Amino acid sequence: MIAPGVAGLPIGAFGLFGDAFNFVFSGREAETGGVTVGGTGQVIDLATTQLEVTVFALAVAIVLAMPVGLWLGHRQKGEFLAVSAGNAGRAIPELALIALMAAAIGVGMVNLVVALAILGIPPILTNTFVGISQVDRASVEAARGMGMTEFAIVRKVELPLAVPTIMGGVRTAGINIIATATIAPLAGILTLGDFIIARNVYGDAGVLAGAVLVALMALALEGTLAAIQWAMTSRGLKLERS
Amino acid sequence: MIEPATSFAAIDQSFFTDRSGGGCIQENKLFCPGWVVDNYDRYVDPTLQHLVLVGSAVVGGFLIAFALAILAHRHRFLQTPFLAGTGILYTIPSISFFFLLLPITGRGPLTAIIALTAFNLQIIFRNITNGLRNVPPNVTEAATGIGMTRSQVLWRVEIPLSMPEIIAGLRIATVSTVALATLAVFANGGGLGTEIVSGSNITFKTGIIVAGSIAVIMAIVFDGVLLLTGKLLAPWQRKRVIT
Amino acid sequence: MAEESVSASPVRFESVTKRYPDADSVAVEDLTFEVPAGEICVLVGPSGCGKTTALRMVNRTVEMTSGDILIGERSVKEGDAARLRREIGYVIQQIGLFPHRTIAQNIGTVPALLGWDKERIRARSAELLDLIGLDPEYGDRYPSQLSGGQQQRVGVARALAVDPPVMLMDEPFGAIDPINRGRLQNEFLRLQSELRKTILFVTHDVDEAIKMGDRVAVLKKGGQLAQFATPTELLMEPADDFVEDFVGADRALKRLALMRVRDVDLWTAPLAQAGDPCEPVRTAVSAAEVPYALLVDGEQRPIGWLSERDLAGEKVPSTPDSAADPLIDSDSVLRDGLATLLQSGALYAPVIDARGRLTGVLSVEIVSDFLSSGKAAESELAATERPHD
Repeated sequence: MIAPGVAGLPIGAFGLFGDAFNFVFSGREAETGGVTVGGTGQVIDLATTQLEVTVFALAVAIVLAMPVGLWLGHRQKGEFLAVSAGNAGRAIPELALIALMAAAIGVGMVNLVVALAILGIPPILTNTFVGISQVDRASVEAARGMGMTEFAIVRKVELPLAVPTIMGGVRTAGINIIATATIAPLAGILTLGDFIIARNVYGDAGVLAGAVLVALMALALEGTLAAIQWAMTSRGLKLERS
Repeated sequence: MIEPATSFAAIDQSFFTDRSGGGCIQENKLFCPGWVVDNYDRYVDPTLQHLVLVGSAVVGGFLIAFALAILAHRHRFLQTPFLAGTGILYTIPSISFFFLLLPITGRGPLTAIIALTAFNLQIIFRNITNGLRNVPPNVTEAATGIGMTRSQVLWRVEIPLSMPEIIAGLRIATVSTVALATLAVFANGGGLGTEIVSGSNITFKTGIIVAGSIAVIMAIVFDGVLLLTGKLLAPWQRKRVIT
Repeated sequence: MAEESVSASPVRFESVTKRYPDADSVAVEDLTFEVPAGEICVLVGPSGCGKTTALRMVNRTVEMTSGDILIGERSVKEGDAARLRREIGYVIQQIGLFPHRTIAQNIGTVPALLGWDKERIRARSAELLDLIGLDPEYGDRYPSQLSGGQQQRVGVARALAVDPPVMLMDEPFGAIDPINRGRLQNEFLRLQSELRKTILFVTHDVDEAIKMGDRVAVLKKGGQLAQFATPTELLMEPADDFVEDFVGADRALKRLALMRVRDVDLWTAPLAQAGDPCEPVRTAVSAAEVPYALLVDGEQRPIGWLSERDLAGEKVPSTPDSAADPLIDSDSVLRDGLATLLQSGALYAPVIDARGRLTGVLSVEIVSDFLSSGKAAESELAATERPHD
């Protein structure tokens, strides 16, 4: 391990970004000596893992939380449960969750995905419930009056009208999951966060490179989810908002 | 893929042998109450550090977001860029933010506070903005019409009426920050995270549970205090006609 | 009282024009009229006629493009807009009470802005609560705990807090249901008869304009003044087709709301007291405007109508065949008098004064003659007092 040299950092700021750039594209010798670390190959490798973990966990969270939110919202029941879930979810310390899961249950892909999905469920559940239950009851009554089945009401009336709110929850969950996937190396799955956490291996150049890469990845995910939301929102709702 | 041995999986055995607690600790059982009783004092400093991190980040975030929201309220065209800007700061994971600041502020509590503040901005900004926007137009019209100046309308009518939403934003921001501040340990920022990741060790279950529980309790207490503050600041919301 | 002298000021519009930069037409064009101190002037017209814009230029919540508005001798353009507004009462349709402040605090808003001390504000709030007929305990409640009508009263009280010489009211009763609206209107007119403020009042309802206004300014699209007149003039002599159309085809009937029964020439009926000989009464009946004789007591209070059978004997009986129903109060509005008459199915109704004494007889014919005669117009125009309820 080398001394951090905190005092000298502001002057060497540009230099460190340069080192980080080199770390990503060419790689450098590990602080522990010997092997070469970094480089596009490892970056792509770790980024792929982080994306996989995120997408799996988000998918699991959606599959588990959304039907419950839809059902409760449609029935206009369980508001306390749905809203408390969201509040409680925010209070879970991500680090403690991942650490405890790794220590108590064991490291591994499945465990990690489960832990990350737990973080994703509350915002999706709460927003789905709120989105559905806030749909104008007049629209629902009109649909029922025209003879739609309850399932059709959810699918054709409530769901389209609740898309912006539901997707808001999915985006919050996505950001939270990809952020927490950064500390996945603690649970034995190497993501881009490994560059950040294992400074003793990658050095400050690796740490900064990891930070930039994780930030870009999170922004890309958020952008993608925002685009999906835009595509799924009906034109009528978009016109109403503008 | 890199060899796990070179990364963050090595266990620091000294963590256990240094402390009392007997067999439970040696076997690293899920929870060892005896150890907690013997070692509760080691959580005092991290808890205080955690409070400083959260307090600074929420107060700082509130002050900045409030200024931005007032500015955007006066000049509507600023709303979109402010929302987008704070949105980016919100989206960048805090752990990544810590080290983006590495070349500027290095490692330490200040770095952690800056990153957590940046995370908070959008939550608080959005709530203040929504609160101000939801003030009924007839109320501000009446306020102007009976002779309040622009700043009197803002401070005497719009901000008091936005208080429930402002407090709601602060609650979300505070609770989220208490949880996120555990990550400050990676930036050498102290806090309860130091008791979860100690050295390179993350396998001491009792320690994780105690530190995590303190964080959760802290979040609940903050939330309750803010909830109560909100009720005190918005007394008109408690009295409603029952018809 | 010291405050009496400043309790009202005249308001004068001088060629007031408002042109919005983004609109191609004019919102208010060259508006000139004067509201004398202590009168209610109603601005009325279809939507988009600029009546609210005209009103809002008085307290500069809308700034005029050209022209001037004078309150007393002072131009509203002088000095700070916020300061000006504190001296002008302002009531809007949606009331705009502050939901986060108690009723007393709402009423005390402008006094607080003017830096009154707490005790004086408290006393003034209590005084105004009393004036609008709300129990003092309402002072500690919040607006959401009050009914719509109560909230509107508080809105009026808030506008009156510093006893402003001028009040602006923008469709103040527009959001209230018709029954309560009528009550609030009457209540407000009663209040105004004590306060004598100069009031500019906006409405789109011509009936409300006629009821509330000492003067009515009818505006048409493009913000032009179509007519500025008393309600009577408006109904009698609409300035043009637009006003005639706007006032409505039933303007003749509307005029009945402006007159009291005592203002028209009532008919006389032959009178008789119990015990009088019948013969002269029979003779009088055959020659009278009203072909029936009225039995009255010694105080000239009507007891009943005497039928031919009642008068067939020697002496007038003390209990006639038909009672004197319906009786009409000479102070009631002509429209209500006519309604009473029509509802009862009778052809004639005795009119009595406050002490119950007969002043004449009202018939449907009187009303129709009155409406068609030129004399009626004159007497209406001459009428100084307006019926308020």
